[in-house]
Amino acid sequence: MPASPTAVVVDDERLMREQLVARLKDAWPELQIIGEAGNGSEAIAMVQSLEPDVVFLDISMPGMDGIQAARAIARAAHIVFVTAHDEHAIAAFEQGAVDYVLKPAEPERLAVTCERLRSRLAQAPDPMDGLLARLSDRLGNGGVAPRDYLRWVQASVGANLRMIPTGDILFFRAEDKYTRVQTPGFEALIRKPIKELIDELDPKEFWQIHRATVVRVDAIEQVSRNFRGQQTVHVKGRPEKLEVSRSFNHLFKQM
Amino acid sequence: MNPDPRTPPGAAASPRAVPVSAVPASGARQSLRDVRELIVVLWWRFFDWLAVVSWKKLLLVSILGIILAGILQHPLPALMLIIASFIIKVVAGGKRRAELTADEATKRAETEQLERTVVEARMEALQAQIEPHFLFNTLASIDQLIQTDPPRASKMQQSLIRYLRSAMPQMREGSRPTLGQQVNLCTAFLEIMAVRMEDRLRPVVNVPEGLKSAVFPSMMLQTLVENAIKHGLEPKTDGGRLEIGAAIVDGQLTVHVQDTGVGFLPRGEGGVGLANIRDRLKALYRDRAELIIGVPATGGTCATIKVPYEIAPVST
Repeated sequence: MPASPTAVVVDDERLMREQLVARLKDAWPELQIIGEAGNGSEAIAMVQSLEPDVVFLDISMPGMDGIQAARAIARAAHIVFVTAHDEHAIAAFEQGAVDYVLKPAEPERLAVTCERLRSRLAQAPDPMDGLLARLSDRLGNGGVAPRDYLRWVQASVGANLRMIPTGDILFFRAEDKYTRVQTPGFEALIRKPIKELIDELDPKEFWQIHRATVVRVDAIEQVSRNFRGQQTVHVKGRPEKLEVSRSFNHLFKQM
Repeated sequence: MNPDPRTPPGAAASPRAVPVSAVPASGARQSLRDVRELIVVLWWRFFDWLAVVSWKKLLLVSILGIILAGILQHPLPALMLIIASFIIKVVAGGKRRAELTADEATKRAETEQLERTVVEARMEALQAQIEPHFLFNTLASIDQLIQTDPPRASKMQQSLIRYLRSAMPQMREGSRPTLGQQVNLCTAFLEIMAVRMEDRLRPVVNVPEGLKSAVFPSMMLQTLVENAIKHGLEPKTDGGRLEIGAAIVDGQLTVHVQDTGVGFLPRGEGGVGLANIRDRLKALYRDRAELIIGVPATGGTCATIKVPYEIAPVST
């Protein structure tokens, strides 16, 4: 007879951990709860040090969530996901081999889960690669989303720091050692030079038109051109005429 | 920056204005096109000036023109130009009126667009009203407390009932929501979250009694509080403080939600709730309201909504 099976319960809310521990005790008295964790990274550390057979893992947790944590521990322990309400996740589980528990865990349903786990403990844990990828897709948290352009700019307005949505910004302009951020209502300053800023802005949203100027495409009212082919950008509601340097002329070729 | 080129059209059309270019033919065509554009621009500028200038001023300019032309001994072309100007002015007056009508039509279209935004925003607010995840988690917590701590279970359930009750009337149209209603809703929400998050959430509600009858749009404070917990405090292992405050600043009702959480992330997904608030503020108040996301020196985030200060009519 092997030693009694062990488990770790992971949930960011203590009440929820208590509840699951208490109900597991009724459903599977031999199962030893050897640890409780409050977030994904704690869970990973605990699985590595305690080597439990089973991990009950909440999906939505602060910092590292259950799915990210599962990626790291799926080969080391059998995972049962716990969730309060994630229609998408539930749809994903239904196609997979791994079990899940809905909060609050109903004793009858938990008994079924425990039964399945008992029969599976002898086998190696399922690495769940397919399921985790599906879960990530469905829950829309791929983790390494390619879209990490700036959506807000942290700038000083007078003595205060503010987050300005990029959609409010008309243009950025280099001024001495600062970069001026112009919105319809006010102007703000940031320390980041245009050269660095342009790499962090969405190229679909902002165009650099000059060494010292970046303009939001949607804010452009008109582009005028003089005899020498010198282009000038006019921005909605602002008197400034923003010069386009020759090397950026191609941006407005069709106009 | 770009001096208005007042060069006479004839001079510009002369061959020496053609810029030196690798492809001379296209260069010449280019500068011809420039000249044509300039003449068109100057003509329309003259036309617009005629349309708006007063008759008195036009007469004055005409007399000056005749005197000048007399000195230069070419009175006839000047006289013809003046007569033409008067005729154009009669016609251009009509053009101006047409423009004004067009402006009005545009404004009406904008108003309709705004109204649509309001309706859409209301629908979205309805959908976002009670997050199922929140509801189920809360019910699960109550379920656990019933077994371990019945008095607290009862208290939490009462908070949930209060939360649901104050969330419901917000779905109805017509009535003007008050700051008091919004604060009650958020207080109930915070009580529930404080039981669930325990000492990781330390809420402080600091709203003067006198301001509770002020008009304040629905579901905005709630969004700010949810954001502060979800993006500010929950990701922080040891949590923090969340303060709701209100004051009158420069005649405006200023309501803020400040947390000591991890701070606002300038990248990535999300921001739908905030964008929704901004759209609704614009639809309701145009330029007289704003949402400011501040970064306090002490860390965390401070979201502030400013709206015109109005007392809600007493409903019976």
